[in-house]
Amino acid sequence: MSVTQLVAGANCPVPREKLSVEVLLSPTQVSGAEVDISAFALTASSKVRGDDDMVFYGQPRPGNGSVALLANSAGRAEFSVDLPNLLASTEKVAFTATIHENRANFGAFSSLQVTVKNAAGQAILQASLPSSGMVESALILGELYLRQGQWKFRAVGQGFAGGLKPLAEHFGVEISDPAPTAAPPAPPPPSPAKKPISLSKVTLDKTKPRVSLEKKTEGFGEIRINLNWNRGQAPAAKSGGLLGGLFGGGNKGVDLDVGCLYEQRDGTISAIQALGNRFGSLRSDPFIELKGDDRTGAISEGEWLHINGQQWHTFKRILVYAFIYEGAPNWAQTDGIVTIYVPNEAPVEIRLTEGGNSLGMCAVVLLENNNGALQVNREVRYFHGHQDMDQAYRWGLNWRAGSK
Amino acid sequence: MALSLQKGGNLSLSKADPSLSKILVGLGWDERTTDGSGFDLDASAFLLTANGKVRGDSDFIFYNQLKSTDGSVEHTGDNRTGQGEGDDESLKVDLTKVPAAIEKIAFTVTIHDAEARRQNFGQVANAFIRIVNDVSGAEIVRYDLAEDYSTETAMVFGELYRYNNEWKFRAVGQGYAGGLKAMCDQFGIQIG
Repeated sequence: MSVTQLVAGANCPVPREKLSVEVLLSPTQVSGAEVDISAFALTASSKVRGDDDMVFYGQPRPGNGSVALLANSAGRAEFSVDLPNLLASTEKVAFTATIHENRANFGAFSSLQVTVKNAAGQAILQASLPSSGMVESALILGELYLRQGQWKFRAVGQGFAGGLKPLAEHFGVEISDPAPTAAPPAPPPPSPAKKPISLSKVTLDKTKPRVSLEKKTEGFGEIRINLNWNRGQAPAAKSGGLLGGLFGGGNKGVDLDVGCLYEQRDGTISAIQALGNRFGSLRSDPFIELKGDDRTGAISEGEWLHINGQQWHTFKRILVYAFIYEGAPNWAQTDGIVTIYVPNEAPVEIRLTEGGNSLGMCAVVLLENNNGALQVNREVRYFHGHQDMDQAYRWGLNWRAGSK
Repeated sequence: MALSLQKGGNLSLSKADPSLSKILVGLGWDERTTDGSGFDLDASAFLLTANGKVRGDSDFIFYNQLKSTDGSVEHTGDNRTGQGEGDDESLKVDLTKVPAAIEKIAFTVTIHDAEARRQNFGQVANAFIRIVNDVSGAEIVRYDLAEDYSTETAMVFGELYRYNNEWKFRAVGQGYAGGLKAMCDQFGIQIG
């Protein structure tokens, strides 16, 4: 099957099935320009109906999940768009790229590429959007749209110099101004009214390594921690299908595992991780659960660790780590990213950068119970393995080699 | 309610409105809603003989030559007419003054500076052409270019043509790459 190449403005028909839409930036990262890739489900008037029509890092799978953000790492995002299962009034799905906090514009990148694959995983079209010289910091990359009963994809490559806000308003999204994440004024009322959608995101880096979430009488709800990463750029493996299956194994990606050390207030110490089958439980002690182990590679949301925030009072500290189970340590190419979702709070994001290539273990983030408040400390410290990490944080567990 | 044509469809104007002598050809498109260079679209008319070519440069009515020498076709200029329906540019045609040698008048829209601005008709939304009785103000026929376009930078929206002693209108929607120059080449205008 030949892949149709589209320039900005061009379009072509797509089959009405579950498509995947992949966005790649080139280069994948530009210093000072953190790119968020989102999708908007739109009606015939090119407007959203509500917050559930916005698919982004803050809500990767809203509504009925017919448009979902499957993978999201530096310079790459992948969506699934289940055309037959879209809400009936959805006539367009627009894919966008925005530079976080408008700190740079897309002129800093050389090109943006959108690939649409059919339900069988075969690429059917590709749009290359040259971006040099662009002053826009928010771009509509392309859109799936319904025209006289036929779904089509159009490459757009237009946008706004003012960033996410004018883009969101273009689609009829009402957005709140960046939320003050540092010090929320007071504990929210027992049944808080639905907040307007927040586009703010907290990125912990060297300049801002810590954020603290105020104590809540009702606890923090379900705290979800996601580890995602770039699974290597082997084209055969990525295209999937027969050839991908036959030859994809030649270039093995990296398998990252997420896990945590925890210490409860009563002094109990232990670990949750796939290695050793210590998956934990959300409903009962230890109130931390590892949601399966993803080693499939191609399409993935990465790995999830959930913490029962209602039980936050039982914890003293939790150290979330990522370690390379399979593959050579190459943190620069792995583009690991840990995102912490606390209900009604802006997501907190930590990128696994500056890694030493001989060290397979990364202590990513330390969650501390600070008089009931949830303090999130960026760590991003690299170790040989569990043993030396444990020692560095004075946890006190005994470690021996294991396999899953 | 005015009649709406699909691409390739045609209509006898003489039959639709027997009183018709002066018409206004309105052409429109949506403004750009994103940042960046606006879409500067130019409407033009080409007066064509039976072989589909102009007789000379005076048969090309555009922003630098707003009126034909015989006065049959007049471009109202770059300003919006603002007549409620949202025409972006319009031309007036006095059918009684069209010389006998002219069999057809093609109405085109081209994107100015399309190459430098990396623009094409795939980025222009809701383009239309409509024919209005300029005396009564009634819209006779309309063609929404609902068909999808992509890399074209010049487009024949529609044409008036003689057929058995009456005037007809055809919804054309034929696109070309190469902007106004390609359009001129097509109709036999030598660009200096």
